[in-house]
Amino acid sequence: MAQEVNSASPIEMIRIVDLEKYFAKLHVLKGITTTIHKGQVVSVIGPSGGGKSTFLRCMNRLEEPSSGSIFIENVDITDHRIDINKIRTDIGMVFQDYNLFPHLTAIQNVMLAPVHVRRVKPKEAEEHGMELLKRVGVTDKAKEYPFNLSGGQQQRVAIARSLAMRPKIMFFDEPTSALDPEMIREVLDVMQTLAESGMTMVVVSHELGFIREASNRVMILVDGKIIEEGTPDEVFNTPQNQRTKDFLSKIL
Amino acid sequence: MKYQRDSLQSRKDFIEQWKVRYHHLPWYRRYEFILPAFIAVLLFTILALPSYGKPEGAVDTLLIGIIFFAFFAVAILILMDREKPVLLKRISSITVIGLFFWFFYRYSGAQWDRFRYQFFNISMLEGVGELYLIGLWVTLRLSVVSALIAMVIGLVLGILRSLKNPVLEIFLMIYIDFFRAMPLIVNMVIVFYALPFLGINLNAFWSAALALILMNSAYQAEIFRAGIESIPRRQVQAARALGMRPMQVMRLVVLPQAVRVILPPLSNNLVSLVKDTAVAYVITLPELLTQARHAVIWKRNPTPMIVSTFIYLATLLPFIHFIRLQERRSKRWLRK
Ligand SMILES: Nc1ncnc2c1ncn2[C@@H]1O[C@H](COP(=O)(O)OP(=O)(O)O)[C@@H](O)[C@H]1O
Ligand SMILES: [Mg+2]
Repeated sequence: MAQEVNSASPIEMIRIVDLEKYFAKLHVLKGITTTIHKGQVVSVIGPSGGGKSTFLRCMNRLEEPSSGSIFIENVDITDHRIDINKIRTDIGMVFQDYNLFPHLTAIQNVMLAPVHVRRVKPKEAEEHGMELLKRVGVTDKAKEYPFNLSGGQQQRVAIARSLAMRPKIMFFDEPTSALDPEMIREVLDVMQTLAESGMTMVVVSHELGFIREASNRVMILVDGKIIEEGTPDEVFNTPQNQRTKDFLSKIL
Repeated sequence: MKYQRDSLQSRKDFIEQWKVRYHHLPWYRRYEFILPAFIAVLLFTILALPSYGKPEGAVDTLLIGIIFFAFFAVAILILMDREKPVLLKRISSITVIGLFFWFFYRYSGAQWDRFRYQFFNISMLEGVGELYLIGLWVTLRLSVVSALIAMVIGLVLGILRSLKNPVLEIFLMIYIDFFRAMPLIVNMVIVFYALPFLGINLNAFWSAALALILMNSAYQAEIFRAGIESIPRRQVQAARALGMRPMQVMRLVVLPQAVRVILPPLSNNLVSLVKDTAVAYVITLPELLTQARHAVIWKRNPTPMIVSTFIYLATLLPFIHFIRLQERRSKRWLRK
């Protein structure tokens, strides 16, 4: 279980109000309102094409929301006067297909953003980078190029790359979906440790074991709407919504 | 018994190993056949080679043909065998090529003396050294200046095109299509002879440079755009998600990866650019070719023209080799 949040005075991390997203005429997100607190680990599940990736990508404006507001630490990031690049440095994102920079070695991947965005001295960035690679267990591959790493190793380096910016929030978009079964565990372990360290996380994943163990909230996102929300126990054992039941019966 | 290099101890062992090692080869691929065959061809050549000059009659012609193809056949036997050492293959192909030129020299009946007098006449080079030095200096300067400025403009235009802004696109397309379609020689003449009427006076050097820059930046814009667009959008998004600004993404993530795609066509373009500097002779710029023509007229002998060819080669070959090294470097991160 992730570190328990002090429920008396939870600190608000992300607040989303009436978020809508259209791709041309395609209505993908149909009014999402929710709040995520500091240290929470929120799992988002739902059928493919339901808008889970779009939801995550709106929250760091890789996609422009069509309407609604998104507050990160009480700053409305849909306001175009803010510097979105500043906001993004605080939000780590891990993608399904890793997206490491193939022309850089593992350690260079991890160092790149701290050095050029945060202006950390290369030497410090390298020390911190090696520390992170140790944490995700790929120290021995630090000087290898991504093409020479397995999928699981690449994804762990990608997590280290995000952590190198010392983010306050981490998004994971199906981080294990592209992996061979025997590599899923090593990535989930890293995520679990991260969750236990108190990181605020939003995870799109269908790894039920991980969701039960590591997350303290589950959201069911179907057809652009959050149709059900609660602790893993509530959602998995006593689902209220008929569509939740249908979806769960397919994946359980 | 298996072949093992380390266990070669006595001559008997060596012969045993040899037998085992080449056991699987068909007879015509074994050294036991190739070596005697080669010696036989060599002996036959020494005995039967027709004398110098145009061959007299069909028999001599046939003999020359047979000798050449005998060497050729031995070389093919060696070249086609995957197991023969590379050095041996190199030697045999060079031998066959050398033989071809030697036979041509020996039997074509060409007037080599006159040929040499016309085209490789060292005595005709007296006093032209300074002309060449000026020419080489102008050509090099023109090439480097035009190439550098064209690359900067081409890169900027290529990045602008990759933005896919519809308004910008119209202007870029007009510029790029126009200067790609316009013959360089026309371009240069217009810049040199017509611009002064508009109050813009450029000397011959800068007129040539401007024409070269306009044309090559248009070509390179397309090269850079194609390179940039070859990098998947996911890469850009991963970089943006880390908080990089668009120009940082371009500089740190997109361009370093695009180099692999950009370098081969870019090096082609740069080599063309260097050769195209020769067009500047129409506006009397004293570049290498202009100078060579002066020398040809002065000496009434085309040798200086041949020499300029070798100067172009000597300049461009190291450059081409350098680019090839860079290409290899730009790929080092690809799968081992
Ligand atoms: N860039 C885009 N342009 C147009 N349509 C898109 C784009 N990205 C996603 N979509 C569409 O939006 C819908 C939701 O996609 P997505 O958020 O990726 O769903 P999920 O991650 O839940 O599978 C899908 O129908 C998809 O085709
Ligand atoms: Mg998705």
